[in-house]
Order: sequence, then structure tokens, then C-alpha cells
Amino acid sequence: MYGVWEGLSQSIHACTLPRFKKTSGIMGAVRNKSAQSTAPLLTATPSRALVDQPIEIGIQHLPPDKPFTVRSRLHSEDGELWEAFSHYRSDQKGTVILSRDQSLGGSYSGLEPMGLFWSLQPVGVEGLRLRKKYVETPFTVEVSVLSDHVRSSDSPVGCHVGQGLEEGAVLAAVNVERWYMAPGVRRVEVREQGLVGTLFLPAGPGPFPAVLDMWGMGGGLSEYRAALLASHGFVTLALAYCGHEELPGPLHTVNVGEQYFETAMGQLDRHPQVCTGRVGVLGLCFGGYLALRIAMEMPNISPRCVVGISGPGGLGINMTRDQTNDFLKENQKLFRFDEQGNVIFRGITMPSNVPPNYKLKVESLRCPLQLIAAEDDQCCAAIECIDEIEERLGAVGKSGLLTRIQYPGAGHLIEPPYTPSVRVSLFHTYPKKLMALWGGELQPHSVAQEDAWNRTLGFLDHHLRTD
Amino acid sequence: MRVGMFMNGARILLYPRFVAGLNNYKRLITTMAGKGSCPLITMQPSRGLIDEKFQITVKNLLPGQAVTLHSLTQSEDSDFWEAFGHYVSDGKGTVKVAEDVSLGGSYDGLEPMGLLWSMKPVPGSRPGLRFRKKDVCTPVVVRIAVYTGHIGDGFTEASALARAVTERSYMAPGVCRTDIRQGGVRGTLFVPPGPGPFPAVLDMWGGGGGLVEYRSALLASHGYASLALEYLSHSEGQNAWASQSLEEQYFETAFTILKDHPRVASDRMALLGLSFGSSIALRLTVYSKVVNPRCLVCISGSHVQLVGNSISNSFHEFNMNINGMTRTDDNNNLIWRNLILPIPTEANRKVQVGRIKCPLLLIVGEDDQNWPTAESAEDMEKMMEAAGNRHLLTTLSYPGAGHLIEPPYSPHARASNFMLFPQRTKVSLLWGGETKAHSYAQEDSWQKILMFLEEHLYVSPNGVPLSKL
Repeated sequence: MYGVWEGLSQSIHACTLPRFKKTSGIMGAVRNKSAQSTAPLLTATPSRALVDQPIEIGIQHLPPDKPFTVRSRLHSEDGELWEAFSHYRSDQKGTVILSRDQSLGGSYSGLEPMGLFWSLQPVGVEGLRLRKKYVETPFTVEVSVLSDHVRSSDSPVGCHVGQGLEEGAVLAAVNVERWYMAPGVRRVEVREQGLVGTLFLPAGPGPFPAVLDMWGMGGGLSEYRAALLASHGFVTLALAYCGHEELPGPLHTVNVGEQYFETAMGQLDRHPQVCTGRVGVLGLCFGGYLALRIAMEMPNISPRCVVGISGPGGLGINMTRDQTNDFLKENQKLFRFDEQGNVIFRGITMPSNVPPNYKLKVESLRCPLQLIAAEDDQCCAAIECIDEIEERLGAVGKSGLLTRIQYPGAGHLIEPPYTPSVRVSLFHTYPKKLMALWGGELQPHSVAQEDAWNRTLGFLDHHLRTD
Repeated sequence: MRVGMFMNGARILLYPRFVAGLNNYKRLITTMAGKGSCPLITMQPSRGLIDEKFQITVKNLLPGQAVTLHSLTQSEDSDFWEAFGHYVSDGKGTVKVAEDVSLGGSYDGLEPMGLLWSMKPVPGSRPGLRFRKKDVCTPVVVRIAVYTGHIGDGFTEASALARAVTERSYMAPGVCRTDIRQGGVRGTLFVPPGPGPFPAVLDMWGGGGGLVEYRSALLASHGYASLALEYLSHSEGQNAWASQSLEEQYFETAFTILKDHPRVASDRMALLGLSFGSSIALRLTVYSKVVNPRCLVCISGSHVQLVGNSISNSFHEFNMNINGMTRTDDNNNLIWRNLILPIPTEANRKVQVGRIKCPLLLIVGEDDQNWPTAESAEDMEKMMEAAGNRHLLTTLSYPGAGHLIEPPYSPHARASNFMLFPQRTKVSLLWGGETKAHSYAQEDSWQKILMFLEEHLYVSPNGVPLSKL
């Protein structure tokens, strides 16, 4: 046991906080020491948490009944700055508590204890989307309190002697770490039998229920949701299926067939730390389509349950290896563009645009299905797809298998909670730079993310962990 | 099963045979009908500060199932420490450690943090161990596992139903650690993130010596710039430096370095000491013209010492008494509490605490076998009463607590190995304390220390301190 423990310690070490380096602190300058009072006390608890865990942020020892700005700042792995602001007023005791007090405006308003996280937006660069590539390290968010109600991202530190504080001076700051991986979760690269993916294993001997996790047509291999699922006790395989250099080319089409997904599901089911027969599938966008296809049209594999987020029930274009031409050129009649030139993909998945033979055989659904959709989804006609699926299942007496959830004001990219969302971002740069409109307004989208995640975890728990 | 044997065996078991064993185990589990397959432990938060409470929940057990929760950690010296509690799941097959009662084990009753504070060295360990973290930049890693039945040993990897891992850190993100080697002073400075200025604490441990950083790291995680000060060195070549360091000037220099730091509010400083560190703190506060703290925390300390003389002489006089006046308990652990008893009446043999001008918090363990802390606290109260500054004194006295009152949830050692300074001989000292009562004292006193520091060092802008402790 204790020999295993040593190996465990080493793997954990990769996930622990990095070796501390001597720094001069967060702020470059320091406050003038002639001021005889201390900085206010800003606390954020817990200071290290999983991204789906809410935290308590409070400030004490402020001057009472005065305006303050609370700010969050994060640097993405590419070094881009993301920021959010909110305006508060201290009470008679000189405190601000984000889970108690209303924001008077800024990046969000109202009672929003986690607003500083979900309302983060990129500063100065357009088309960004915040996605964690290296899941064994956290995002570090700097939370600070500034005097007055300000919006500028260039707030000065310190004060002029004899003149009191400059407007918008930083009074206090703390760092919080937001993790996708809990301690003890192990990350294993999978490159066998032609698969390209990353497996995440919870701590412990298991066996565990398992999830096959897939993203959309942006391609590549995103691991963060799978890491988070493993942190909740599911063996999770994040599976790449297009747009990855280790998969058969070309990059922007899907060049793997049903066998690929059968292999992935089989590997999961047979893994020594997975409970046989307790494998579910979770997919977003085209990943949602694939999840449905696995549940409806691949008789050799039997997922125990499926979750589809913002996913279509069929496509108006052929995405398989037979496609040799640029699909955008061929199918442009199905796209629209907004006033800024951002592409709206919805048309491809509108059931009325999808030839019947491209639609999934919904009636063949063999397991419980949870479909999540956003009412302002500009990328996928998810609501219309769910409507049709619901109708077709009802016609064969399988309505009991379907749970549908939809969110007003939310956009296409329903991601783990308390993470920033964007209405538009860069979709690809080949053959030219193209920005996609995802839709959604910040606040209702954040509500959707929080609720959808809880519902997804509950659904997976119910169907995979219990009988 | 003895730990030593299993440790070697486990390395071989991990690969092919272990995997085959797991497959068999997997078939057994997945043929089990009903709830009880795929039990899950969740911990919230999974990464916390050392003084943060956690919630451990075990789900998907069978209803009314007897289980044992077990914690395991490995110290920096490679010793293993463990604790365990016996629980019964509810009708839904859930155990919540923060709400349910442990029926036995290394702790019992409703004890949300029992899996940490009741840890002891595993059977077969070397004697005289004390759990101390030297490297504060990495966390303490604790494995929590759940086993079927109410067991007291055999906590093997393969037989656990589920496992989780938690990391407990002394340093919050953004706390800045700096080595201080300045003006002859040796220490480590911890500064909270942010522009400051911050109130500050000069943090002093006891006669065991060395540079102990973890309490200062934790104080900085709560908003105090803190200087962990080394004043007795273990290093052979440092003897000349070591005897120099026991002069008032050394501590005054350290205090000034802290006070002059650009991120420190120079009029918002405190001294915090444990054991001999407390004695130094009291002495400096009364007699030094340089050290002027706004408040003072003395844990397990005494005002009894030779004054009007160097600190070294005071320390050496105490050292000379050891052989003559030490008692031992049945296990040959040394009891030092009588070395300075009875409390002297002469003015030059104790710090004149009647002259203290700032609030003083005394933390007393009533079962302190190392130092007569309770008797000293009583005498200090009498002196302050007579001098008219009694209103500055707050004494927290904990029945059943021993000498080493440390930050919360750290394991308790009733006795442990100790290196005598400067003789460099190894002895075993009796610290005292009964584990449950001592752990309560650690948790409560730490909260009260933080409240006391906040009350006296963090001042609201109109200059009025918060309500009294």
C-alpha cells in the first residue's frame, strides 16, 4: 500500500501548486507608508477550488458607506488578459460580501456571488474564447478591490502623498486558483487501436462508472471537461475525432467511422477500473450528434445513458471522409452572416434543411437521453432538433427515455459553470479567418451553465452509479 | 498487517498481478445488485489551507452499512501517520463526516476534522515522532479511504471501497516567501498578496531551535506579514553565531527589519511566541526601547527568567538546571515543568509584566508537562492586577491541552524526540495533553488568536478598534 502511495505522491505532485518562486507581489508599486491605516482585508475562500465550486468573497475594514469596485483578472495560457468589474457599496460596518450584496453595475449587476468569474471578458483582443489546455495546472484569478466605481483596466496602485487615494486605486488583492482536476485524479494519454484521446481516472481502486466525452467541430482534443468529470468520480475519456494531427487527415473533415467510436466505448467498458456496463456518453454540438448516433445507430455498443448539449439530430451536410471539397463553399446557402460578418451556422442543422437520410434513426434509441439546448443558440438549431426528436420518440412510445432542458437567453457553448462565455469567437483561420456567432447573453448564459452542469452530473450519477 | 512488509510487496503488485486482481475484483463488484456498487468519496474543498475545515461525504454505500473511514499521510521524514473512524451509513447509503457520529477508532463522536487531528504514527513506526512541515511551498497530501466493516488495521490499497485525496497547504496563492539574511538576522518573511500595507507579526518558536516557517506562512495567508525568526541554530558551525543571537539586539534588529518593510504598516505590529519564544516576547515588550508591539500573543510561555542579564545567560541557567531537577514519567520521557517552579518572588527573576502597555493574550494548556504555563499565567495575572494593567490581559486556559499548541488539525504528540541545545544530545520530552482536548485547544486558540490580531491590528478607518474578544 505504501509503495503505491509513493507513486501516487509523485503523480499528485504534478497537480499540486507549483514550487513557489520569489516574487515582488502582485502589484509593481507599493502604497505610501505615510498612510497610518492598513489595507482592507480581502478574503476569497476557498482560495484553491475546482472550477465548478462557488467561493465566498468578502472585504472588511473598508470605510463605511463608500463606493468600491471589485475586479477580477486572469491571464490565459496564451498570455491574453481577461477582466471583469463590479460596483458595490460598503455597509455601515465597512464590509462588502458578494454573496449578500447587490452589484450596482459593471460586468454584471444584482446578487451574483460568482459574477467575477463568469463575466470575465477578453481585454483589447477580439474573437477569444477561454479554454484550458493544460489541465494539471489551475487558472489563477486575481481578485482585487479598488476605491470608487471605476471601469478602467489601467488602475494605478498607490497614492500621492498628502492627496489621499487616487480614484480607482487598488486597495487589496488576493489570488484564487481554479482547478479542473481534483488531487489524486490521474491523466493518461490514449494512443492505442487508432484512438486519439486522454483518459482521466479518479483516485482510488474503483471500479467507477465511465463517460465518453466529445466536443464539436472545432476539432482537436479538449480535456478540461473530462478532467472535471473525473474529479466527480467518473473515469472519463476525452476523445478527439477530427482536427487533430494524429488522426487521419485532412484536418477539417471527419475521417473516422463508426468503428472508431465502437473502439473507444469498448476500451472504456473493458478498462479494469470501470464498472462494466456503466458507460455513458456526453457530447456538445457535433459531439452531441455523435453521442446520439452511438445511442441510436451503433448496435454493437450499449451506452447506459447519453447527454447531448446543443447538439443536432442530423446534419444538412455530409461530414464524413467522402467529402473532399471545402464544406463551407458547398453549403454556403445554409449559412447566414450577421452585420459584423460573423457566421451563423444554425441553418445546417435546422431539421427542415436536413435530408431524411441524414437524420438519425431516433426511434432506435435504447437508453435514457438528456438533451440540453439554448434558446439563443446561433450555431445549432438545437431546440428545433429536440422538438423533432421528442415527437419521433413519442410516436413509438419512448417519451419516457427523454429529458429535455432548455435555457432562455443562453448561447451555444454551454460549458462548466462559473467559466467565462463569449457571444462570438474565432472558429477557424482556414481558408480565411472566420468568427462564429454562438449567441447568448452573459447573465442568462451563466445561469444555464450552472444549472446544466448540476443536471448533467445528477443525470450521470443517477443512471451510471445507482440502479 | 505490518506496514514495512507491505510497502515492498505493493510495488510488485501494482503491475500485471495487481491489474489481474483488479479485474477479478471488478467482476465481483459489478455482479453485486442494488446500491453499494461504485461508492464515491467526495471532499469539499479538495484543496484547502491547513486550518480550513472540510466536508467528507461517502455516497452509494448500502443502507445501514458499517464502514471505516481511514486517513493516511506521509511526513517529510517518510513516516506514515493515520487515523480512522467507524461509521454506519444512513438509509440512502450515505455517510457525512461533518454530521454523523464516529462510533470508535482513533476518535469518536461528532468530529468533522477527526481524520486529521487524531492521526498517529502507523504501527511499527519509529518512536518519538512529531509531525512538522518544513517545506511550506508544497501541501500536506492526505489520502482518505473507506473500508467495509469496522476495522482497526489491514488498511490496504486493494481492499478500499473508495479513495479520495486532499491537499492541505500552509500558503495561500499569492503569498510571497522571502529569505531574510540581513543585519545578522536569519529568518523567513511571508507577505500576503496585494499592495498592503499589512499588519505584521514577529513569530518566534521555542528552545528546539531552527527555522520553523509554517505558522508564519499561515498568518500571511490570513493577511499578516509575518517574519519567522531563527534564533537558535542546529548547525554545528553556527555555535558562535548562535550564542550571539540570544541578545536583545538580535530581536530588535529583526523587529526593525519587519517594521521597515515597504509593505508593512509600521504601527500595526505584534509579537507571537510559543514556549521560550513567549518568554522572549514578554521580555522584549517590557524592556526593549525598540520593540513596541501593538499587541502580544504568548502560547505556552512563562515570564520567569533571569532579567537584567543577557538572554543567553537566562537560557544557559535554565539549561544547567535540567539534569538536577528533571523528572521522568513511566516511559522515560523528561518532564521539565518543575525546572522553574516555584514561581520566584524576586523581581529580577521574572519579567515585570506590570509594565506591559499593550493587550496580551496568554494561551495555556492545563496539562502542560514541559513548562509551568498555568502557574506562570496565574502569577502574571496577580502582578498585572497589582500594577493596574490587568485589563490588558486575556487568558485562554484549556483543560487537557499540552505544551505544543499549534495551528489546528495537526496531529498531537504527547511526547517526542528533542535535540538539546547546545549540547546536541537527543532526549524524549513529555509535552502533555490528551489528544481530543489538545486538538480542541488548537482549533479554538487559533481562531481566537486570529480574532485577537484582527481586533488590535486591523483598525477601521475611524480609528476605533472592533469589539473586544
